Amino acid sequence: MLVKDCMTRHPIMIAPETPATEAQKIMGENKVRHLPVVGDGKRLMGLITRQRLDLKPDTLASLDVWEISRYLADLSVKQLMVKAENVHTIEPDRTIERAARMMADHKIGGLPVIDDDVVVGVLSEVDLLRSFQEMLGLPAEGVRVTIRMSDVRQPNQPSEFSKLMAVVAEQGWGVMGVGTFPSPRKPGYYDAVLKIPNATLAEVKDALSKIPGQEIVDAREVA
Amino acid sequence: MAETRSPDNKSPVLKLDNVAVAYKVRGGEIEAVQNVSFEIARGEAHAIVGESGCGKSTVAWAILNFLGANGYVKRGSIKFLGQELVGKSGEELRRLRGDQIGMVYQDPMQALNPSMRIGEQMKEVLTVHRGMSDDEAADRCIQMLERVYMPDAANVMKRFPHQISGGQQQRVVIGMALLNNPALLVMDEPTTALDVTVEAAVLDLIAELRRDFDTAIMYITHNLGVVARVSTRVGVMYAGEMVERGAVEDIFDSPQHPYTQGLIRCVPKLGADKASSLLYPIRGRVPPPNNRPSGCVFSPRCDYVEDRCRDERPQLREMPNRTWVRCHFAEDIDPAKWTPAEDITVPEIADGDGKKDIILQLDGLRKYYEVQGSSLKDVFGMGEPRYVKAVEGASFNVPRGSTLGIVGESGCGKSTLIKTIIGLESSTEGKAEFMGFDITTNLDDRNEKLIQELQMVFQNPDSTMNPSYTVFQQIARPMRRFSTVPREQVRSEVLKLLEAVRLGENYLERLPRQLSGGEKQRVGIARAFASRPDLVLADEPVSALDVSVQAAVLNLLLDVQREYGTTMLFIAHDLSVVRFFSDYVAVMYLGQIMEIGPAEAIYAPPYHPYTEALLSAVPIPDPNVKQKHIRLEGAVPSAISPPEGCRFNTRCPRRELLPDPDICLTTPPWRETDDGHRIFCHHTLETLSSFEPVIETQSKKESQYAS
Amino acid sequence: MAVAQPTVGAAPRKRPSRWQTMWKSISIVFESRVATIGMAMVLFWVLLAFISLFWTPYPPNATDFVQNLPPNATNWLGTDHLGRDLLSRLMQGTQVILLKTRLPFANISFPIGVAIWGVIGSVIVGAILGLNAGYRGGWWDQITMQILDALIAFPVIVLYLVVIAALGQGDLVVILAITITGAPGVARLVRSLALDIKTRDYIRAAETRGENVWYIMFVEILPNARGPLLVDSMLRVGYAIFAIGTLGFLGIGLPPPDPDWGNMVNEARKSIFANQTAVIWPSVAIASLVIGLNLFADGLREELTRYQK
Repeated sequence: MLVKDCMTRHPIMIAPETPATEAQKIMGENKVRHLPVVGDGKRLMGLITRQRLDLKPDTLASLDVWEISRYLADLSVKQLMVKAENVHTIEPDRTIERAARMMADHKIGGLPVIDDDVVVGVLSEVDLLRSFQEMLGLPAEGVRVTIRMSDVRQPNQPSEFSKLMAVVAEQGWGVMGVGTFPSPRKPGYYDAVLKIPNATLAEVKDALSKIPGQEIVDAREVA
Repeated sequence: MAETRSPDNKSPVLKLDNVAVAYKVRGGEIEAVQNVSFEIARGEAHAIVGESGCGKSTVAWAILNFLGANGYVKRGSIKFLGQELVGKSGEELRRLRGDQIGMVYQDPMQALNPSMRIGEQMKEVLTVHRGMSDDEAADRCIQMLERVYMPDAANVMKRFPHQISGGQQQRVVIGMALLNNPALLVMDEPTTALDVTVEAAVLDLIAELRRDFDTAIMYITHNLGVVARVSTRVGVMYAGEMVERGAVEDIFDSPQHPYTQGLIRCVPKLGADKASSLLYPIRGRVPPPNNRPSGCVFSPRCDYVEDRCRDERPQLREMPNRTWVRCHFAEDIDPAKWTPAEDITVPEIADGDGKKDIILQLDGLRKYYEVQGSSLKDVFGMGEPRYVKAVEGASFNVPRGSTLGIVGESGCGKSTLIKTIIGLESSTEGKAEFMGFDITTNLDDRNEKLIQELQMVFQNPDSTMNPSYTVFQQIARPMRRFSTVPREQVRSEVLKLLEAVRLGENYLERLPRQLSGGEKQRVGIARAFASRPDLVLADEPVSALDVSVQAAVLNLLLDVQREYGTTMLFIAHDLSVVRFFSDYVAVMYLGQIMEIGPAEAIYAPPYHPYTEALLSAVPIPDPNVKQKHIRLEGAVPSAISPPEGCRFNTRCPRRELLPDPDICLTTPPWRETDDGHRIFCHHTLETLSSFEPVIETQSKKESQYAS
Repeated sequence: MAVAQPTVGAAPRKRPSRWQTMWKSISIVFESRVATIGMAMVLFWVLLAFISLFWTPYPPNATDFVQNLPPNATNWLGTDHLGRDLLSRLMQGTQVILLKTRLPFANISFPIGVAIWGVIGSVIVGAILGLNAGYRGGWWDQITMQILDALIAFPVIVLYLVVIAALGQGDLVVILAITITGAPGVARLVRSLALDIKTRDYIRAAETRGENVWYIMFVEILPNARGPLLVDSMLRVGYAIFAIGTLGFLGIGLPPPDPDWGNMVNEARKSIFANQTAVIWPSVAIASLVIGLNLFADGLREELTRYQK
């Protein structure tokens, strides 16, 4: 799953001269929180977010009433945006995990996707969330089972995960979603989450509890 | 064309809300378009369908700000990528749109500069907008040309537009439009001017590019078949209003608005038999923009009209199946129970009966045009003469009273064949006889009586009538010329003919500029039949008319022919048009007749491989139909140096099936079946019969419109 | 909003009367300011010409006044070197151009002025030649156009001189000269119109009816070339008037004693030191009539083609 498969193509973008009030209106009507600011040829010049549009009280404090409205009317996006060099961006061929990492690290909600300086899309948190829940097989019906297994691989032994898969293959089940996480509160172990369609809870519990060295931490039917 | 996208609530790329466009004219204002609302999401292809004058192009121009000095958006909002376009100045609009909207026109030469090489023009798009270096731009252009399946892309970059074919020009234009990755692509009848097989390939291309680039496409067309093939959603427009809107399967499976139902009924279909290929026209005519009815704009022509329709204008409302319809009674109308109104006459299907005498006989007819070479030797007359071999060895017999449909794409020689028969050209070689008269000479050498018996109906309604004379004068002329009736009776004869073409007495004194396209064509038909000819040649008589008018004129032609017992040769470029009323059909390619026979035989196997390709290329106005996907590679070869033997051999998809493919370089034999069906091919009849049928309907809705 | 249209064959409203249709065609002129001004100027002179048939302030040839007077109360435009009233002479000068042509042998004149007859002549001859060249093409085209091109190469005045030298002076000769010089231009125009029109389907239809060539040329093609031909003819009347003026100036124009504007300019030129204003009036007359015709033709052409696709 790459950024280009997940991003919103042809995002809504604005020119630097656009007044701030209009940018606000566009964000509101179209329910977007990140607006790339582009120049000729869709070149990225900056990014406008909801936050940037909030005016700081101290900037205004020194102005009187008439000046405030004039200031607001003249305010263009160019003056408020995050400049291009400070905007975090990503290329379309990168993985979504990397995108997720960037967003988590820098606490940002949206990444402009850049191909050679030109904006080709925007990847937002919501896009990522949607993607990830597909990864874990959320839309599919079936049994969701979490298996805890050891992180350490025994020499000359098949890996824990392949043992699990062997059992699944034996049963002839399909797997609609897979995810692995380091076990919370139990270092040295990791949890594998599987979404198995067309099987009953009892069957799954029965088959998977028998794997040595692995325990079912959670199993539930999800419609 | 069903596609499921995971629903996302992103705002649409284009959203029109209750848009009205008006033009200022001498003495006031005309609202060309009213109450149009629709939206297009990313990656969706939204078709706008309608006949001429419905305002579909006006909508496109309003979006692109091409309305000209006297047009303006009177009401409503047009939002592109979230930003409002209405009310902004030209400069602001240019900034907003920038390179985000691409447009493709019907005529590729409107977008291509004939004096610049293709490479230069394409690079300009990139170097100007994106400031790219020349080399990088060149690379991208070649990449894009390859993306649009242009053979020999690097070479094409160096050529001028007139050096490539129409289909290739259109591909270049599409490529140019996509170079800057626009969010919206507006296509205004991009394939209407192209041949069927070329059109099929370009439509495939558009579908593929849409998926790859995720562009929103607004596709304007009048051809329902193309709509079924290329779009995901459809908006039907009539007289400036949008009357129905919904997903393409829903619109074709269960059209709700009477106009949509009527349109679907009058589109020629490739049905399995004659009965299901009948066309039912919509009566009446489109109201002019300055004289629209109050209430529902379709009410004068609607079969289900009630008083409420005339008084109250209906609003667009949503139906249970999520289509939007502008009709008061949409729920009550069931198309399956529709019967034609009394004043629509549909010709009876006559069964082919016993042998009739042959009225027209052609044997090995050839027509070559000499081409003036351009080398110095040629100028002095010393070079080798070169010929455009327009018609090569045409041989067939036409029984009296029957109709022969001749189908082929542009350059196949059908027009030349007709011109030779009627005498506008003289033939080069071969025999041709009409009622015992030799017709290999041209008009200057022909007998008057012969001329009287051979008349023609022309293609273009605007140029078929002399603008300076009234309808009466023009129909009366052949009568007076050939003295078919005594002077006193001329007027009543003209009236009789007018009645036969369903025009009233008040048309006698009208001038052509006061008539609509369909009416002019009817007068043309009346004129052709005025001298009671034995053979009428019709050169694509309906291709320039709207779909609903086509149905009426075709039915009319058939009626008149029956009434006067005339034999008819009918040229069309589309197999579906000739389907329902031809007794025999001939398929031509590059001057050769590839297949000829009784009509039913042509549409089912055994087919000639070219006929098969034609049938699989025709866009069918029914998304439920399964159609084979055979596409021809390459372009039609030049008629000056055509391929040896079977002229189709360079592109034949079935050539490799032969044990010895080189045999196609020799003249093929005629394969004959019992019912007079002949195929010009090296494959045996068994092989040809073994091909699957090109078109298979998936039962359920097929018989919905059969009477 | 108006009432719904009935089905096929809607009857037109009551047929407009002759006057109404004529008025409608004429009113196109008023749409263009240019054409209106032009028409006003031309009508002014035509009116003056009609009036002069019945009345002029003084007899044009009467040498009653003091010579070379500038404009004054009795002679509104002054007098010429022979003491004749300029205004009267000016008015009468319009007649020959616009209104009547004099026959050489008898003392009668027949209606319509020299300029107009000349243009009619060139239109007739030019149309025949042009239609033949355009429609028939081939050798007809080559030969005709080569000859006509050769004629066009001559400066117009030289052609006039040749004709007048060969045939002597007189109104009919001038008409002939105008015809000969005007025909090539008209032929070229008609030829290009014919080339375009002959591609239309209705010409094919006529051919497939076996109509003969002359029928097709004059009945099918020519009526559709009316528009541009009409506009061109009006311009030609202007050129003809101009040419007549030049001839008059050179002294070989219309014979005396009837006043001729060109002649008037010539004579006034000779006595320009005595009377500066006499030159102006006939020059302005020629100029204004020609400009008026030009404007009218131009404006008309603009209007006719304005709403065409």
